[in-house]
Parts: sequence; structure tokens; C-alpha cells
Amino acid sequence: MKRLTALLAVMLLALFLVPVAMAADVFPSKPVTGLVPMAPGGSSDLMARALEKYWGKYSPQPMVIVNKPGGGGVVGTEQIVRSKPDGYNMYIAYGSGHDIVMPSLQKMPYDPQKDLIAVARVSIHSVVIVTGANSPFNSIKDVIAYSKKEGKPVTTAVSVKAGAVDLALTAFGKAAGVNIVTVPFSGGAEATTALAGGHLMIGGGHPSEVIPHIKAGRFKPLAVVLPQRDPSMPDVPTLKEQGVDVATWGSVKGVAVPAGTPKEVVKYLETTILKICKDPEFLETMKNLNQPVMCQGSEEFTKFIKQATEDYAKLIKELNIKID
Amino acid sequence: METFSGLISGFSIALTPINLLFAFIGALVGTAIGVLPGLGPAATIALLLPAIYVVSEPVTAIILMAGIFYGSMYGGSTTSILLNLPGEAASVVTCIDGYKMAKKGRAGAALGIAAIGSFVAGTIGIVGLTLFAPLIAEFALSFGPPEKFSLAVVGLLMAVTLSGSSIIKGLVMLALGLLLASVGLDPISGKTRFSFGVIELQSGFDFVTLAMGVFGLGEIFIGLEAAVKVEVATTKVGSVWPTLKDWAASRMAILRGTLIGFFIGVIPGGGAVISSLVSYAVEKKVAKHPEEFGEGAIEGVAGPESANNAASSSSFIPLLTLGIPGNASIAMIFAALLIKGITPGPFLIQEHPEVFWGVIASMYLGNVMLLVLNLPLVGLWAQLTRVPFGLMAPVIILFTVIGSYSIQGQAFDIYSLIGFGLFGYVLRKLKFEPGPLVLAFVLGPMVEQSMRQSLLMSGGSFLIFVTRPISLSLIGLFAVLVAGQAALTIYKRFSPNN
Repeated sequence: MKRLTALLAVMLLALFLVPVAMAADVFPSKPVTGLVPMAPGGSSDLMARALEKYWGKYSPQPMVIVNKPGGGGVVGTEQIVRSKPDGYNMYIAYGSGHDIVMPSLQKMPYDPQKDLIAVARVSIHSVVIVTGANSPFNSIKDVIAYSKKEGKPVTTAVSVKAGAVDLALTAFGKAAGVNIVTVPFSGGAEATTALAGGHLMIGGGHPSEVIPHIKAGRFKPLAVVLPQRDPSMPDVPTLKEQGVDVATWGSVKGVAVPAGTPKEVVKYLETTILKICKDPEFLETMKNLNQPVMCQGSEEFTKFIKQATEDYAKLIKELNIKID
Repeated sequence: METFSGLISGFSIALTPINLLFAFIGALVGTAIGVLPGLGPAATIALLLPAIYVVSEPVTAIILMAGIFYGSMYGGSTTSILLNLPGEAASVVTCIDGYKMAKKGRAGAALGIAAIGSFVAGTIGIVGLTLFAPLIAEFALSFGPPEKFSLAVVGLLMAVTLSGSSIIKGLVMLALGLLLASVGLDPISGKTRFSFGVIELQSGFDFVTLAMGVFGLGEIFIGLEAAVKVEVATTKVGSVWPTLKDWAASRMAILRGTLIGFFIGVIPGGGAVISSLVSYAVEKKVAKHPEEFGEGAIEGVAGPESANNAASSSSFIPLLTLGIPGNASIAMIFAALLIKGITPGPFLIQEHPEVFWGVIASMYLGNVMLLVLNLPLVGLWAQLTRVPFGLMAPVIILFTVIGSYSIQGQAFDIYSLIGFGLFGYVLRKLKFEPGPLVLAFVLGPMVEQSMRQSLLMSGGSFLIFVTRPISLSLIGLFAVLVAGQAALTIYKRFSPNN
């Protein structure tokens, strides 16, 4: 009820302000929509709400979060692609699996790079390899040694099929010569619960999903699958440090707008987000969410998305993963 | 001790004005809609599900839904007693003696004992939930994919075999529910299935739309057809306080009903409907004057009405600890939790203690509210049964359409809502019970996924379902129950006494 009333109030206010703003012609003259193509409560949504909370500090107009889940993120993203390119329609979570992984696996209804302008990167959700607290494994070497000695498959819990976590673990298995059998669940929460119950040998997840279990003593972290260590868990070594030459970009979370949005508007949005990235309260909020803040401006982020997409395409080709 | 401190913190959440208000609204609206003939708990929750998109706090949203659930459970008895029309399936047996009592001018006593029995049983049920849920949650971690598969399948089959209606029809409903659930993304491979190029179908059918259509609209369409002639036994209720004689007769019936309801509620596929049937049968068996049953025996009202409320409390246990909804109404609450970004399971108590304890505490409060709402105001509820259904139905349909559109803002959902509504109508016309369909729709992805996960774990061997002790015991338990029921049927058929 509260949200509805607030929304109505904001909408009325917006109507009221439009004529004045038209004359002034300054962006933003009405609230900006931040569309999250995932369900409320997930890591993308939590990040969007952290942005929303501090947006008002740096912009005269508030941000309104809208969730539009479906099709692994495609449904909501397509809505943004088809929306008016005026800067009032922002896509939050740009760089997720359906932007950088899915294009290499299936036909997309739009081009995630050409049809969207990267505004800023906010966070990277790395892939962490973990095992249950009672597991005999204490490092990646133990996993490899077990596989070499027993010759048995290593059952591995992953959040979804062909997602960032699944790809990272499959790539690890291929590079290290370990017979990894990934068992997909519906989302990180279910995958980590099954791992905590001891039903699988190892598992993968994003820091926001595994850190609570590590803190509660149910999981042992084995490796981070990033080129460098993850700032949200600096004590955990990377796969490379443990002698396995595999690194992926995990799941990237940034902001984008539809292609055709005026340059100065993109600049304004970019500057605002980069300001929020430096806000100490925002940093604190993100820390509590176990999401590392790894901000990047529009130009660098555009290049990053291109690179990450190419890297994933290469990986998928090497691993020979197919969906259709 | 942890339970105690958890409960205390739960009360501090449930007693905040906003949560108190929503518990009250839930109980009130639930009772009001539950009083309407035909609209049971599942339909009531289905119709009101979109409300949770407006309530921002997850705990408040679930408090509202739980309130609607047990509110409609209370309300269901009113029409059974006054109109001989069960307000919901779990009150069907209440009609038998309740309506007879009303005809003899004892409507007040029947309504009163139903409310008191509901209160006592509901509260004892919640005490059980409070004590057992945290224990079961600890045990629940040992439920991996093979155990989940066995439990879900056993639950689905039990929902069919125990329902008392045609098993073949129930199996057809199960299959249809599973088929509908398979539309959308394949949970293991990520392929799109049965979407026929329709982008809205890529993520499958929306549960809220399906539930509102099949349960809500379907029952309303049928109601519109049936509501032309309804004989009201009486709207003069009289004193709702049971006499000493009534109390003596129903005291033990309430306790027995509570126990029966509590245990049947925990079993997947069990729930309110079955527990009320079992309770009635038991009361008839133990009664000193079984000949009074069917002629207005107060135990015949007290037992089943207690049983269905105890069952509705205890059916929260498998949901909150294992993340497995055991019946259609609880499946709605399951969907509501998921929509609010909360995955119920063994870690719910640790990760979302505010939701777990807040909802449980609000159930204690809600039961008190319901007693207060029902005892003195029962006359008012009785008046509600006189509002012509022809007036009420269009308004409910309108709100259903608005509600379904408001969720995602796409016209496609309205078409599918109406489609599912017509489908639900046809099902009822053909005497198909839609409960198993909706339960299968919710459990379908779980059944499929956990089976394929198990097979990935075992390297393709089906033995994994019988080599793991919990999974084996679940399958064994089901086999024993089916064998028992079959033996009973055969015995009855050949028994000379019948």
C-alpha cells in the first residue's frame, strides 16, 4: 500500500513538474525508472535498491525500481530495448548472464551490445567454488587429487544451467582434468542448501550466496574464478593461484540505456552513478550485501562488455556447450 | 529456549500496527469471502494474491495471506450450517449435522461450537507448529534431490488417493497440472518448451493467473449458475454459547479432531479436507449414540471443524521447513513467499527469522481475532449469505481482471486468466476436482528437477531413489497406505454387514 501511494504521489508530482521542466529543458525533469529484469529479492534487485536509496542524494529526481522478471532476464531487457531512448528508462543488471553468456548459446530477440548503451558498471559477482564444512577437500588440489585417485565424477551444485557459475565450474573441470558433473538447481539459494545438506561434493555460487554459509561454518571456500581475488572475500585464492589456468568474469552488474539516448543524458547518468559509487554509505550497504563495488565509466564498461562477451563465446566454444 | 526467544521476537514483529492491521484485514476478508458459498480457502487466496505486490514487506504480505487462509477456513462453516452449502470443501461434512441443527433452531450452538472448536484446534496446531518446525528444519537438510522427489511424488499421489473422489479423474488432473508446469524454460537444459514463439510463455504460465482463473473464476462461474435458488435455513442465529450439555458432548470431539487434523495436515497431500472427513468418521465410530449422527449431533460439527483448522496450521510445517507445499492452499502461500523473494526451506528460520516467527506469532493473534469476529458477529456473517451472488460475482470478476493485469502490466495475462477461468468451469462441470491440478502445477518443476538432479548425481541409475533410507521409507509408507486403502475397499465390498 505504501509503495502504491508513494508511486501515485510521485506520478502526480511528475505531471505537475513537466511543464516547468520543459521550459528549463534539463534532464532529469521527472523520476527515472530503473528496470530490473529479475525477481525482487535476488542479488540484482538488492543492488538496484541500494542504488535507488542513494540516487536521490545526487539527483533532483528520484529513481523508481520496477521488476520485470522472465525468460532469464530477456523479457525485461527487451522492454528496455523497445522503450523511448530519453534516459528515463534505465536497465539495471546489465552484464548478467543473458547479456554476455546467452548470445553465444541462442538467438536473441535483440543485440545486447548494439541495442543498449553501457552507462556504468557497478559490481562484479564472481564465481566462488565451495565445499561443505565436513568435506575432506580443503583446497582445489584436494579436489583434483581425489578425481585422479578415485576416477569418480565430482558432483557439483550450480544455480542454473549454462549460467556464469555452471560455465566456470565446467571450465575448471576441463582445464584441471576433473570429471565435473554439474547439477543445476533453480537459483543460488536451492543450490547452496543442497550443498549444505551434503548431497553434492562441491558447488559454486556468487559471494552474496555463499558468504552467509561460510560465516555460519557450513561451507569452506576453495577458490575464486576471477583473474584477480574478489574484494568481498580477499582471503580466498583464485584458481590461477592454485595452478588451474581458468578465469571468467562471473556475472557483471551494471546500468544501461536503450541505443539512441542523447549523449549528454548518458553522461549525466554515468556521472550520477559514479558519484554514488564513492558514497561511503552506499559502500557500506553493498558490503552488507556481500557485493563488491567495482565501478567503471561508460567508455570502459562498453569495452568490458565486448571483451567479456567474447571471452564467454570462446569458453563456450572450447567447452562445446549447446542448448538448442 | 531458542524457540521461545524466537517467538518473543516474532510477537514484537506481529504486534507492530501495520502487521496487526494486515493480520486483521486478512482474517476479516478471509472470513467474509469464506462465508460466500463455494469460495474456499484456495480460491480466496487465489483471488487476493495480487495484493501482495502492493504490500512491500515480505512478512506483512505473508501475514496477510495466512490471515486470509485461516479466516476463510473459519468462514466456511457458516454457510454449511445456515445454507447447507459448504463454504469450502473442508466443511462438506459440517453440512450433515450443522444444517440439521440449524433446522431445529440450534444454528447458534452449531456456529458457536464451530468457532470455539476452530479456535482451540487452530491454537493447539500453531503451538505444534512452533515447537516442531524448528526441529524438523534441522532434520530437513538431509532432504536432497532424491528425497525431495520421493516426497513430492508421494504428496501428489496422496492428494489423489486420499481425496475420496475418483482416482482416475485425480490422476488426469495431476497429469494436466504437470503438463502445464512444463511450459517455459526447461529447468535443467535451459531450453524453451511449448512456448510456440509466444514471448510471454517463455517463462511459463504465471501461477497467480492460473490459480485465480482455475480456482477463483472457475468457482464463480459455477456459482453464478447455481446461485439462483438457495434456501436459507434461518438467519436468526440465537445464542452462540453452547450449553453445558453441548460442551460436554463436544469437548473430546474437539480434542480428537485437533490431533487428527494436526497429523493429517503434516502429511503431504493431506490437509483440511481429508482431516475433516476422517474426524467425522472417527466421531461417528466412538459416539455413544451414533444414530444421532445426521440428525444434528453437535460432535459432528465440533470434530471436523476442529480438525480442518488444526490441519491448516500444521500444513505450514512442510512448507516452512522443507519448502514443499502439501496442498493447494499452502501452494498459494508458497507462491506468495517466492514472489516476495523468499525461498522456504531448511534455512528459512535462520535467514528470515522475521518472516518465520512473525508469521507464526501473527497466527496466534489471528486466531484470537477470529474468535472475536466470529462469536459475537456471527449474525452479521449470516446476513452476508443473503447478498445475491449475481451482484457480488461481477464485482469479484472485475477485481480479478484488474489484479491479474496489475502484476506484470501485460494484456496476455488477462487472456490467460479468462482462459483458465473457463477451463476451471469446464472442469467443475465434468466433476473434476482442480486441487490436484494446481498442486501438480506448483510441484511439477520440483518433481522434474529433483528427479533429473538425482539421476545426474547417480550417473543415470534409478536405484538412487531406493538406496537412500529417507527416500525408501517415503515410498514404502505410500505403498503401505495404498495397500491398506485397497484392502479396506475390498473388505467393505465383501463384508456382509454393508
